[in-house]
Amino acid sequence: MTTATAPVTGALTAPHRLRWLLRLHRPALYVWTAAVVVLTAALLWLGGPLTDAAVHAWRQYDVCRTGATCVYDQDAILRYKDVYQYTTWAVLALPFLVAAWAGAALTGREVESGTAHLAWTQGVSPARWLAAKLAAPAAVAAAGTAVLVALHRWAWLADHGGIDTAKSWSSFETYYANGPLPVALALAGLAAGALAGLATGRALAALAWGMSATLALWGAVHLAAPRLYPAVTRTAGLDHDGPVGSGIVLDSGIVTADGRHLPDPFCGSSAYSTCQALYERIDAVGFFSVYHPRSHYWPLQLLATAPVLAAAALLALAAFVLLRRRTQGKAATA
Amino acid sequence: MLAYRIDRRSGVATYLQIVQQTRQALRLGLLVPGDKLPTAREVVEATAINPNTVLKAYRELEREGLVEARRGLGTFVRRALATTPADSPLRTDLDAWAARAKAAGLGREDVAALFTAVLEDHFQGDPS
Amino acid sequence: MTDTALEAAGLGRRYGRRRADRWALRDCSFRLPAARVCAVVGPNGAGKSTLLALAAGLLPATEGTVTVLGATPAAARHRIGYVAQAKPLYPQLSVADTLAMGADLNPGHWDAATAARVVSDGDLDPRTRVRTLSGGQRTRVALALALGKRPELLLLDEPMADLDPLARHELMGTLMAQAARHGTTIVMSSHVVAELEGSCDHLLLLRGGRIGLAGEIDDLLAAHRRVSGPADTVLDGHQVVESRTTGRQLTALLRPAGPLPAALTGAPPTLEELVLAHLRGPQDPAASPAASQKATA
Repeated sequence: MTTATAPVTGALTAPHRLRWLLRLHRPALYVWTAAVVVLTAALLWLGGPLTDAAVHAWRQYDVCRTGATCVYDQDAILRYKDVYQYTTWAVLALPFLVAAWAGAALTGREVESGTAHLAWTQGVSPARWLAAKLAAPAAVAAAGTAVLVALHRWAWLADHGGIDTAKSWSSFETYYANGPLPVALALAGLAAGALAGLATGRALAALAWGMSATLALWGAVHLAAPRLYPAVTRTAGLDHDGPVGSGIVLDSGIVTADGRHLPDPFCGSSAYSTCQALYERIDAVGFFSVYHPRSHYWPLQLLATAPVLAAAALLALAAFVLLRRRTQGKAATA
Repeated sequence: MLAYRIDRRSGVATYLQIVQQTRQALRLGLLVPGDKLPTAREVVEATAINPNTVLKAYRELEREGLVEARRGLGTFVRRALATTPADSPLRTDLDAWAARAKAAGLGREDVAALFTAVLEDHFQGDPS
Repeated sequence: MTDTALEAAGLGRRYGRRRADRWALRDCSFRLPAARVCAVVGPNGAGKSTLLALAAGLLPATEGTVTVLGATPAAARHRIGYVAQAKPLYPQLSVADTLAMGADLNPGHWDAATAARVVSDGDLDPRTRVRTLSGGQRTRVALALALGKRPELLLLDEPMADLDPLARHELMGTLMAQAARHGTTIVMSSHVVAELEGSCDHLLLLRGGRIGLAGEIDDLLAAHRRVSGPADTVLDGHQVVESRTTGRQLTALLRPAGPLPAALTGAPPTLEELVLAHLRGPQDPAASPAASQKATA
């Protein structure tokens, strides 16, 4: 406690300037680090031993189809599936964890308990206080999330097609847990939580607002991104089992002779006479599907990530403007 | 070192209480020439009174020639007041008088009132 | 360096935007010279906290200006110490960590020795968690954080509330020692006048968001008289702050404009009498003596 009065100039390194922040949020940093470490270990386990065991089990199972007696390691397959699911949802939950913390602890509790006023009357201006409060956690959150989505992607690719029940690239959780969106969402959640904390001055309310804003952003880009990039339309004859083309499907169904699109009655191929009759009755000539094939993966991820990053920047800017108005008035913000 | 006692309910200005208590200490020989008065910081830390009040009292004592401020060193006693030692004849007289008053059945307050009244008669108009 | 610690000109602060919203402070103009210990007194809701928060740069003024040590509150930030009424501190930190945070947040102008002394004077173990501190200990740590900045101006919002008499005396002693040692200007609000008497030499009396009385306490006391006399005494010409007639007896606190009627006997009031009279009497008697005459007739 007898910290020497340092003769400070601009020579101070950034870590020193952020020491107060570390003092305040050390428990949060520990929790975050623990979460990242545990998930890293789980994903390494998933992509390594678990995948190997499941691939081996599937090979045994494939032999079963021809052999009379059948022994295969069903537990390995189920274990892989469970751990895959848990880790995927855990990666996707990270942005919400960041948002909840940002709203509750980073700013909300500070305004609620008055410690924000304590901080703003020290030698650091409110704007620099907020800058530090956003920048350092942003770096930590982005780094942790980025490492985990990369690991998730690695673990997902590790089976090399050897696991029949492995999730497709386009299944909802896998699609997002493999891409950069969680990183952007974590940043947006941080900014949204911080803004909500300053705006409401209530830790619990800010927690809810931060998480809701993150969810809303995700929902918005989930709906918008596939529609912002030109999709592929593919038609197929009625002798197929249904619409052809896998990936992120936007629309699919029946094309009629006059070009109308009808919903798929889920009957099946026209090889079946009942279906043949049905198709004739509704004047169907083929199946259609509007979808994004796997080649659209990166453009789609970018179209989801970029707007979220922009929103994160806007939310952070709004937090600065709000803080400036609170402490210095409207004239200062002009 | 002299310790001032400030009575906020006495109705006497705070700086005057310091002046009076210093004079009293000089009279009783508790302070002699060359002695150092407590610094303003020491006084205010103990009494929680305003520093300017202490400085005002010390200026008053300095004006009366009782103390002198030496820059950077503190405030020192310059001269003593006519002292009344504890064993002076005057004190012996008063002591005997008080004993008689008590024997006559007077209480502490009666004696104090009587003494104050006599004080008023003899020293009317004198500064305290 | 400036010889004015705090100056307000037409300062006002309104909460909310609509016209009907309340002005917490209005038409506030005063000048506080440096090296004073100023008491800001007034009933709850008179605008004391708002005034201090404006000076500390925590709130923007709705109108008018406040100048702190010759600069805007934001520019003077590192020269001001401020302790809010609730003494907010981080409950999860230890006392030592709280002071270390003060050092981190005040790079280049942190006096660790002073901060540590203020804490150790209170017999506080630096390893104690803030959440376990008593009210007096909290105040001491909050004050240590403010004094560690080596502020030229110290703004204290109800610093003595929730403290026992001993802790009050100790803390006031610490504050006065700070003022004596560094010439720090101290502005402290309170609604208990008695605890400020003797410690403060300047007064700012707020009432309903406006200044009722301001100036050096000695001058203010010397300018007023608490008088009593026959009920039919005419007080015309004098500024009557407060007067009361009981039977044939008139008692009043007034600011004489010249020699008082011979029938009156009087003496300077105490600070408490002066403040209470101004709080009880009609609003702003100095500005409208005629109105106060009417009210007391």
